Amino acid sequence: MAMTINGTQAASRAGTRVSAREGRRWHGRALGLAYLAPVLIYLVAFYAYPLYRNVELSLRDYTVRSFVSGDAPFIGLDNFREVFSDPTFVPAVVHTAVFTVASITFQYVIGFALAIFFNRNFRLSATLRALFLVPWLLPLIVSASTWSWMLNSESGVVNSALGAFGVPQVNWLTSPTWSLVAVIIANIWIGIPFNLVILYSGLQNIPGDVLEVAALDGAGGWKTFRHITFPLLKPVSAIVLLLGFVYTLKVFDIIWIMTRGGPASSSTTLSTWSYQLGFGSLLPHFGAAAAVGNILIVVALFFGLLYIRYERDREAR
Amino acid sequence: MFHTRLRPLGLTVASLAVACTVAGCSTSDAGSDSSASGGDKQYTFWDPYPQFDESSDWAKLVASCGDSAGVSIKRTAYDTSDLTNKTLLAAQQGAAPDIIDIDNPVISTLADAGVLASADDLGLDTSPFAENITAAGVLDGKTYGVPIGANTLALYYNADLLADAGVDPASVTDWDSLNAALAKVKTAGATGITFSGIGTEEGSFQFLPWFWGAGADLKELDSADAVSAVQLWVDWLDKGYAPNSVLNNTQTTAWQEFEAGKVGFVENGTWQMGNAAKLGFKYGVISIPAKDGGAAPAPTGGEFVAAPVQKDTDRYEATTKIINCLTSPDNLLTTDTTLSYIAPITSVQQQQVAKDPSLEPWVTAVDDAKGRTSDNLGTDYPIISEQMWGAFQSAMSGSASAESAMTTAQEAAAAKVK
Amino acid sequence: MNVRRSAWTTCLGIVFTAVMLFPVYWMLNVSLTRPADMRQDPPNLVPLHPTFAGYQAVLRDQMPYLGNSLLIGLGTVLLTLVVAAPAGYSLSKLRPPGGRSLTFVLLMAQMIPGIIMAMGFYSIFLNLGVINTWWGLVVADSTLAVPFGVLIFTAFMSGIPDELMGAAKMDGAGSWRTFWHIVIPISRNPIVTVSLFAFLWAWSDFIFASTLNSGGARQPITLGIYRYIGNNNQEWNSIMATAVVASIPAALLLVVAQRYVAAGVTAGAVKD
Repeated sequence: MAMTINGTQAASRAGTRVSAREGRRWHGRALGLAYLAPVLIYLVAFYAYPLYRNVELSLRDYTVRSFVSGDAPFIGLDNFREVFSDPTFVPAVVHTAVFTVASITFQYVIGFALAIFFNRNFRLSATLRALFLVPWLLPLIVSASTWSWMLNSESGVVNSALGAFGVPQVNWLTSPTWSLVAVIIANIWIGIPFNLVILYSGLQNIPGDVLEVAALDGAGGWKTFRHITFPLLKPVSAIVLLLGFVYTLKVFDIIWIMTRGGPASSSTTLSTWSYQLGFGSLLPHFGAAAAVGNILIVVALFFGLLYIRYERDREAR
Repeated sequence: MFHTRLRPLGLTVASLAVACTVAGCSTSDAGSDSSASGGDKQYTFWDPYPQFDESSDWAKLVASCGDSAGVSIKRTAYDTSDLTNKTLLAAQQGAAPDIIDIDNPVISTLADAGVLASADDLGLDTSPFAENITAAGVLDGKTYGVPIGANTLALYYNADLLADAGVDPASVTDWDSLNAALAKVKTAGATGITFSGIGTEEGSFQFLPWFWGAGADLKELDSADAVSAVQLWVDWLDKGYAPNSVLNNTQTTAWQEFEAGKVGFVENGTWQMGNAAKLGFKYGVISIPAKDGGAAPAPTGGEFVAAPVQKDTDRYEATTKIINCLTSPDNLLTTDTTLSYIAPITSVQQQQVAKDPSLEPWVTAVDDAKGRTSDNLGTDYPIISEQMWGAFQSAMSGSASAESAMTTAQEAAAAKVK
Repeated sequence: MNVRRSAWTTCLGIVFTAVMLFPVYWMLNVSLTRPADMRQDPPNLVPLHPTFAGYQAVLRDQMPYLGNSLLIGLGTVLLTLVVAAPAGYSLSKLRPPGGRSLTFVLLMAQMIPGIIMAMGFYSIFLNLGVINTWWGLVVADSTLAVPFGVLIFTAFMSGIPDELMGAAKMDGAGSWRTFWHIVIPISRNPIVTVSLFAFLWAWSDFIFASTLNSGGARQPITLGIYRYIGNNNQEWNSIMATAVVASIPAALLLVVAQRYVAAGVTAGAVKD
């Protein structure tokens, strides 16, 4: 399928004899595939196979025994039916939606604001911007554990600080009302660096003279932002939001370590539920876990299609 | 121009070289596995003790047992909650280790999956081991592995704090007297009791003494006795005898709360004995009271040594030798002292008490303890346990009443149990 | 006026950074706390009775793991760049057939939960005999960054003016020479961005390390931490101390990398 570079060069030389324009186009396309070869092999080997296995897991009735011996009977969509009729399903979907929308909104807004702030290039801005990425270096078990410690009902520093203002003890991780809020806060904290870096990069790509012209025309900060900066950053924003969405849907470690999806499934999302079914108890239920995982992938697919639609419309304009 | 383009590349290569040197200088130190010197055949050994590296006594014992069986052992340590899944995954791919040391309630799951060889297949003699401890590894009349040690739960108390509050620990003999003691501690301005009520097997482990102490049975989660056990915990939270953090506490963090010195009682296990000696106050241990008096049956913790099925059954000979070596009375004494476990063999238990008389109440507790997967609950136990912890979490967090939570749990468990 | 404004902005910047990094400070606080003081109610804002036992444990045990993490991280960066940059070039400039669907597939590829990927890799790696190797882990970790890298490179490179490419072609350069001598040098921004992400994702990865390299000789720091998580007991000050020590070299790397990003954008090779 993928031709070698030598092959395409030889082919292109032959092509020029046929028709200069046609040859160049063919050359370009085949060459394109050549550069794509590593990624394509990569995709097939590393993504297609696990995905196939996951779909297969969700369509069979796996017990621990048949998982090991590999001869589980095919049961079609029964696992999915079981998942849909489980009382945890609707709460998990709702929590996933709330968690994702809240996380992305705050991460994006705060990340954007910080990117604009750091764009002013004041003293120490480069160092401070680098320091903002430190939350990212930490293994998730450490960040999640640190937040757990800070949000502990009795010995957490957040409750002490709130207590100093007269706020009564908030059971961040152990109350069904607050558990989702607690994990959202931790997730926002972890997601800000990602948004900051990409949006900042995008801001850097705006040519300085565009902003100069705006300033010369007398446009103030907010006007410049609304009519120039934000529209110019629309494609970057779109990709940041989409990737943020995909990554947030996958978030599992933070919630699992902080609340295990509880208490009483009050912070269970589709991602944590999938893990819980598969690995969360002493007796794994792989079929259902895979089914929930596939549902997640389908949701992401749907939004991915929306993004492609948006891109197509944008390019058509 | 040539230089500028090569510079980032050069930088990367240089960094890789540095990294290689730093990592390479200590290849032998990295990783928590060890290779013994003797023997040509290599046997793989998995255990849940990542805190023991290759310089530890445990690692050396494993290696020496390998040597005495004529093989070299490659040991890998995993996080205990991960080990089951790793074993299943490996077994699926035909790469199961030769020997595993794993938490006892999981043995029946692995046996049911056909992953483990039975003691009969291996020619392993299980008679020296205490029956109540070995029972956890029995499925359908066959034993799959032998215990390496047992631990169980009791109530540690802060002697100084109780004295100040006017509580006599000897008076705590049933639930009523315990509640009275907790009330007194609260009046004195401290927290009554702390424990681990987290939504994992650890929470179930801590709940079982109260559950069994109320006379409840795991096959009937919605009985009045079972509900009363959940209600006990809920009342403690409502009355402020226990801190809210119990919903998320592991046994370690519950212990840390106790260590801070403002808690009267903590439910914890034998493995804390070493830490107990370092407490900044006087402490004591009493058995967990049953509802109507007497000591409540506590669950057995501790690991089993088992052998996954291998295609080449000739390997079993050395495997059996290694297991026998690890669980020989002399080696058990050393191992169980290191792990702060009680030995599963009576003669060794007596030796442990002779060395350290403070172990006496623990030995009694272990003798009275029950396996979680005993009574042929086997693979039903994990299903029931998951529903049970969901129920007490719901009740304690106020999402449901104790009764409705347990009813839901029983329905779900009954539906999922085969 | 400008100097005062700059100082005020710097102050604000420091405040924001301090708020953002408070949990990291808390990590430091816990790493120096004695086990007996860990669950104090109310907690100590500053470790009043500091203990360095955690750091002693880290310096004694964790240095090799840090070196391994660095090795794996840099390896992942290299592999990601090698796979993603040409792909980005192709998708943006060479218009291969099926390019749009490939972009979509790459987006979706990132959707597969890590645990599913890890289980799939386990069987592939086991069958290929590369289980428990550090470079196998590099390959697995790169799957975290390659789709993202391709998207970033594509987005950036489609912004490179076609006149630049045209100028090179007029000089007689083929696609490879254009790529290597024109596109790559201009792409310093996305290269640094993608490297940053690839490194950070590899550095903090746990699931692949745990599934694919648990028995290996070169384990990363995310597994090294488990030395302090026993089957019944967790040593929190050592765990937090490991995290603190692990953050230092990575933080230094970040500061250096940011300078590259801040150092300007296009070379302005084409003037209007």
